Parts: sequence; structure tokens; C-alpha cells
Amino acid sequence: MSQYQSVFRDETKLDINYVPHRLPHRDRELHLLMEFFSFALQTPDRMAQRVLITGDVGTGKTALSQRFGTDITREAVKRAVHLRYVHVNCREYRGSLFLILQHVVSTFHPNFPKRGYSAEELLRTLMQILDEESAHVILTLDEFDSLVEREGSEAVYQLTRLQETRQNKPQRLSLICILRNLSAIAKLDPSTRSTLQSNIINLEKYSKPQLTDILNDRVALAFKPSMVPEETINLIAELAHSENGNARFGIELLWRAGKYANAENQETVTPDCARKAVSSIIPTIRKTDLTMLGLHEKLFLLGTARLFKQTQKASVTLTEAEQAYTIVCEERNTKPNTHTQLWKYLRNLTNTGIIKTDVTTTTNSRGRTTHIQLPTIPAHELEKELAAILEKGDA
Amino acid sequence: MHDKLNIEEVFSSRLRIKILKTLNRMGELNVSDIARRLGINYETTSQHLKILEDEGIIQHKMFGRIRIFRLNEHSPKAKAIQNLIEIWEQNGK
Repeated sequence: MSQYQSVFRDETKLDINYVPHRLPHRDRELHLLMEFFSFALQTPDRMAQRVLITGDVGTGKTALSQRFGTDITREAVKRAVHLRYVHVNCREYRGSLFLILQHVVSTFHPNFPKRGYSAEELLRTLMQILDEESAHVILTLDEFDSLVEREGSEAVYQLTRLQETRQNKPQRLSLICILRNLSAIAKLDPSTRSTLQSNIINLEKYSKPQLTDILNDRVALAFKPSMVPEETINLIAELAHSENGNARFGIELLWRAGKYANAENQETVTPDCARKAVSSIIPTIRKTDLTMLGLHEKLFLLGTARLFKQTQKASVTLTEAEQAYTIVCEERNTKPNTHTQLWKYLRNLTNTGIIKTDVTTTTNSRGRTTHIQLPTIPAHELEKELAAILEKGDA
Repeated sequence: MHDKLNIEEVFSSRLRIKILKTLNRMGELNVSDIARRLGINYETTSQHLKILEDEGIIQHKMFGRIRIFRLNEHSPKAKAIQNLIEIWEQNGK
């Protein structure tokens, strides 16, 4: 029996809760956040800040704020400033202001009673604790829309206008609100909304090269050296990009692909491991989609699937796929269709989402090369499925 | 205010020892929580807490209507009791 070898060095570095030391392509936003809160390191009791972080799923909102939280806390310790960063996912607390505040209070007094008072009393308690400890809290309300949805303007108003009832007292509570887009706060009354909207950091979705950088960073942290070939990373970056630039999706795929490589005792994480991983996350195309294809489309796809299986590459060229198609036709005593016809198949297969195509122009400008990718279905599964359908058609 | 108690009076109560052990383990708790953990009623718990507080061994802080008790970190008696509990529980015998 062969000895179990893992491709991972430390798979926890791919965990959803892991916050890396370096956030590729979010330096500017991190600096901006630090800039907004620079007062907290100098004159924390004279000011409070409110910042909104917006962006789609997987654009790094949570990672950005947590990285910021760790960095600013470390800096505060160095300067002997009593500053706490508290990150709360509002959805986890069912959007309840009471439960959210209870969590914040419990970071100071872990055994604080769970019942017997209102959210207003709890907020007063929190301020009392902060006054007694001369502390400033930066409270991050992740999935802020959940709080808005449940509690409406009143709760947000209480949090943002706290200081108005504490005149001449030190400022103690700053807020970072994380949400996908501003539509969630549209239902707040205008005055509450205006107190929130002064500082907005919007995170754009990641481009494919940016996702590649993120994945490369995580590969270096989580995998043993040379375990994840560049083409696998490129394929995962491509998949994450097509999932709306979702880095979290890409990182999860990377982890799953590693798991498939281990389960199959593979020496490296091949592109096919990534395809298997994605097919376990996204429902693969239905069999009927394959059945609906014309005979030569099926044959072309079968040749392409075999090619992917044999070469373990992330993409193949149209010329290579055409050669593989010709061999399949030979096996079945069928005359292959012309190159022009293959173009039509390619377009149709791309439209159904089974394959992806990408055209590159070579530097010496001798022509254009069409690259075919098989983004979501493992090559061997596609081959098996097509062979079965073709056999059934022959019978 | 009680007159100062002798050591044998403080330690003569099983419940007071249990309260001290609980506060030593949990750090701080409110009255209801202490009562719940020891399986005794609120009133009895309050009385014992008062005796221990009058001796300066424990202290409380008010948060609105809530009283949170803890061992008095400035009291040499509390420190000695903490040591005693820890040595006792570490060695077992």
C-alpha cells in the first residue's frame, strides 16, 4: 500500500475564516480605511467614525475589514491606546441589535447575563464599560443589511447618533458597516442614511489576473511546493472570474481541487481536479443538454474531452481539438465535417456553457488561435456521458 | 454591615466556599447566574454574597439594574483564597 501523501502543507490557509497577512489588490482600500481611522490611534476619545464597505460576494469586504482590525489593534497596543476591534456578522445574530450588542459586551464581560434587560439598557451598559475602561471600540457590522431588515432605522439611528445623548463625554464607538450595495440602506430614513453615507469604500470585483495573484498567494501558503501547476491556477482564476470575480469561490475551489488530488493519490493538483471540484459545487449541465446536441457536435465534444483527459491541460487549441475529432470520426467510420462547420459547433457549445473559448493573437501576427476550455465538467465524466449517449443512439 | 467575621465563620459555609470557587473559575457572574449554577435560590445567594462582600473578599459592579460579582482583586484575603483553591484543585489530594 502506498504511503499517504498530501498535496497540502496547511489547508487551514484556505479556510473561509483565515485572514492573510497580505491582501493582494486591496492595498489602496486598506490604506483608506487606516486613514479614516487614524484618529483612533491619536485622539480616540474626540471622534467617532462611520464607514460603509460595499461590494459583491467574494470581493474581499470581510477580509479587508478583519485585516484592518488586526493591523489597527496591533498598532494601538504599541501606542498603549485602549482600542478594540469587534467584528460581528449580523446575520449570525439574526439581525437583532440586542444579540449583536450582547456579543460586543461579552468581549469585555464574557459572563454578562443573557436576559433581563433591553437593547437600550445594553447599549448604555456598553458605553459604561467603555467609559470605565477608557476604551474605543470599532464595531464592524458585517452583513449589515440583515440588521437594517430586522430592526429598521431606529436601531441604526441609536448606534450612529449615540453621542448626541452623551454630550461632552468622550467618543467611544465607531462603526464599519459591510453590505453588498447601497440599496439595502435605501429603506432607512433620510437622516439615519445621511449619517452613514459619508465614507464609502466600494470594492470592485476582481479581474482574472487579480484572482490569479490571490490564488498564487494562497497556493504558496497552503500547498507544498510545486503541487499546483500554473494551468490549474489559471483555470480556477477563470472559473472564479466567471462567478462574478468571486475570490472566495476560487479559494474554495482550490481547496476542493486539492482534496480531489489527495483522494485520487495524484502527485499534483491537475486542472481536472479543479473541474471535479467545480462540478461538486455548481450543478453540472444536465444530461439533456448533451442529448440535444447534433451527432457531430457530440463527436467533436467527445474528441475534446479525450484530449483534456490525455493531456491534463487547462486549455486546448481548436487545431488540437479538430485532430481529436477526426480520430473519433475515423473510429466511427464517419466523414468528419469541415473546419467551418466546426466553428458553428464551437459557438453552440460555448452558448450552452459546456465549453469556453478564448481567442489569442500570436505576437508575430501570423494568425489567431482559438483556445478551448472545459470549465465545469471533469473530462472523464464528459467522455463517459457522451460515449453512453452515442452508444444509445447507435442501438 | 456585619461585624468582621473570623476565618472559621467565613469558611464554615459550604455555599460560601462554592460561591468563591465558582467566581474563581468564571471570573465574574451576576446573582441569578451564581444561584443557577449552585442550584440555590436568589435570596440565599444574595445573603452569602453580602457576607463575602462585607468581608472585602468579593466586589460588585452595577450595569444598569445588573450586579456583576467578582473576587476583589485588591484584597489580600481574596488572593489567599484564590491560591488555596488553586493549590487544592491542582493537587487533588
